[in-house]
Amino acid sequence: MNKNITLANIKNGRSYEVEGFNPGNSAYAEKLSKMGFVKGTPVELAQVKITDPIVVQIRGSRIALRKNEAKGILVKEL
Amino acid sequence: MHKIERIAIAGVPNSGKTTLFNNLTGARQKVGNWPGVTVEKIEGSFPLQDITVELVDLPGTYNLSPDTEDQKVAERVISGGEYDLIINVIDATNLSRNLFLTMDLKERTHQIIVLLNMTDVAEKEGIKIDIERLSTDLDLPVIPIVAVDKTSVKKAVEQIEHAIEHLPPYDSPVSNREVMDTAGKYSHIDEIYSRVAQEIKDRSTNFTNKVDNIVMNRFAAIPIFLVSMFITFWFAIGLGSVFIDFFDIIGGLIFVDIPEALLEAVSSPEWLTVMIAGGIGVGCQTVATFVPVVFFMFLALGILEDLGYMARVGVVADRFMRKIGLPGSAFIPMIVGFGCTVPAVMAARTLTTKRDRFMTIFMAPFMSCGARLPVYALFCAALFGAYSGLAVFLIYLVGLFMAILTGYCLKNTLFKGTSSNFVMDLPLYHTPRIGAVFKSAWLRLRSFIKRAGVIVVAAVFVLSVLNSIGYKNGEYSFGNENSKSSILAYVGKAIGPVFKPMGISKENWPASVALFTGLFAKEAIVGTVNALYATNDISENQEVAVEKEAGGLEIGGAITEAFTTVGEGLVGVFSSFDLLGLGLISEDQATVSDEIGADTSVYQHIAANFTVFSAFAYLLFVLMYFPCLAVVGAARQEMGGYYAGVMVVYSTLLAWSVATFFYQVAEGHNLFYIMLSLVMFTGIYGWLHLLGKQEKSKVTLVAPPPVIKSCM
Repeated sequence: MNKNITLANIKNGRSYEVEGFNPGNSAYAEKLSKMGFVKGTPVELAQVKITDPIVVQIRGSRIALRKNEAKGILVKEL
Repeated sequence: MHKIERIAIAGVPNSGKTTLFNNLTGARQKVGNWPGVTVEKIEGSFPLQDITVELVDLPGTYNLSPDTEDQKVAERVISGGEYDLIINVIDATNLSRNLFLTMDLKERTHQIIVLLNMTDVAEKEGIKIDIERLSTDLDLPVIPIVAVDKTSVKKAVEQIEHAIEHLPPYDSPVSNREVMDTAGKYSHIDEIYSRVAQEIKDRSTNFTNKVDNIVMNRFAAIPIFLVSMFITFWFAIGLGSVFIDFFDIIGGLIFVDIPEALLEAVSSPEWLTVMIAGGIGVGCQTVATFVPVVFFMFLALGILEDLGYMARVGVVADRFMRKIGLPGSAFIPMIVGFGCTVPAVMAARTLTTKRDRFMTIFMAPFMSCGARLPVYALFCAALFGAYSGLAVFLIYLVGLFMAILTGYCLKNTLFKGTSSNFVMDLPLYHTPRIGAVFKSAWLRLRSFIKRAGVIVVAAVFVLSVLNSIGYKNGEYSFGNENSKSSILAYVGKAIGPVFKPMGISKENWPASVALFTGLFAKEAIVGTVNALYATNDISENQEVAVEKEAGGLEIGGAITEAFTTVGEGLVGVFSSFDLLGLGLISEDQATVSDEIGADTSVYQHIAANFTVFSAFAYLLFVLMYFPCLAVVGAARQEMGGYYAGVMVVYSTLLAWSVATFFYQVAEGHNLFYIMLSLVMFTGIYGWLHLLGKQEKSKVTLVAPPPVIKSCM
């Protein structure tokens, strides 16, 4: 029932986990995975009110990325 | 045991590796480029095991895949085996993402010592790290360090000396361990992390996150951004400009006046004086005038970077910068461009990819710089009257539009196929370390003087000599600067017809000659136009010698004057918000000519030689054509001679086409020229397209860098 969404659509205050690349939009996903966006990694939106680029909290650090790039990563809500 | 003589420092951006490098090497540093690429190379040396070892600071990278130029350089250096030891600096507050690079390094060499940096910050953030365990799990020596603290660095050096004794033999093959894929590496890292690190505090409410909540708040983000950008501009351009006249006067004294006086004292031949004082001397003086703005710009960038706000600038500005195909971080070079193009070109090096850097450099000269303003002011006062403000505004707007057009054009031609992206790590905020910031600005300034300076001096030399040598009645003479008999004037006259389509008639040759002196600095156009129209007035037989500066060397006077300008400038910069100097634009001819050092009679000449439309076309050309020599020098330093050349040709052709198109549509109504300018636009586009294709085939021809096999 946990339908996969992309990183670009995650919501504030909820916890997610990286599922993998989005096959339809993976141009940049390879590079992102090297930055730590690999399957099973917890990720959430930082409490920052900027909507694009989005700022996510992952592996103890904050990364800003464009929504367009974020679309390359699939996540599931925990 | 293998003797350690050359060491490379590797680490992710913001891991503190440069701080460590600074504290290790002290003053023994130099900045250059890695061979064949335009990636900055910082070298130094420090004592280790009783000898002086060479140390190089590798570009900051997250991994060693050849995605960016920086990463390619790091990969090549590490795989090439040139260095006996890799010091891998990792940030204790961001362990898991830093360890990825460590994994990549391990695939390529055994000779690694890990320095776990910012252990103090990690403690504050509530992260506890079991260093011994980390060392066992990584199978590498791990030494804790606080890179900003000199005592800690000293202690670490002793530990490094000790650890070297226990490194595996230098020539032992890199392990048979299979090369892991990305997911494999991270799951390995996660395993290690769970064993060695403990997070005992919730970090979501730490200082950095609190600041970010304000700085990147929906309402406060833009005002804070604008204020900080204003301060940056004020600092780099406003404060930097205060010292321009000072450097100009002192530079003139040291490089031009004193050598000239000395040469005259030993009664050297005139040609020698012209070459040394008028050529090389003036070249050095030109470079000297850029010293303050370049220095202050690097200072401003260093402070923003060290503070941690630079990354946030990128985030906030990305929204609109992406529309022109650039990441948000390109905003600063663009804004600095309104002050001076030279530091703007150099600021582009803060961008991560070659494409973004080069595109920014191509676009920066279209941001109308402060040196072009006196030219606008002169022509506006002569012709536009009450519409001066509007005219100047339009010119700035055209510049902006041309920059955007250039971005669009390059995206589809020269840099086709490489898309822009924006992924940026947001580092923790911390207080800038002023000493380190000053030092890095000084190093970069020195490298600008050395590397861009050479080409500037050479080009200024050639132009100055051509400007000085004159030919009249079968005799050559010197000292013909800004007169109608200099070689430069002949060239200008000869080339005059080229400017006819944009409304500059043959009789108006001073305007085309001035375009050549404008290469020194665009404001030089004012002086040339002023002088040439004036001499043109006087009939041939009673031509007066071009006014020579009052004879005699007045060292004391010059120095006093130099200091006075600093005082006056400081008063100005703290009392006025008009950083662009737009106050110069006014209808009052007397005020303007007084400010820019032209005679009031020049207005009648301009009015007689130009129409409103041809003047505007001329100003459009001045806005866009061949950037001044210092910019070319800086562009060559940042992009190499080839791309700097492409940029110069591109901007000059574009300037001609735009000016011609405007003039012909507005006034000339010559269908042929209108068509010609349109054909030129297409031609420029096609040419860039061709270059882009060539570039691509060149890339595939280059052999891939040697990769050390991981399975032996």
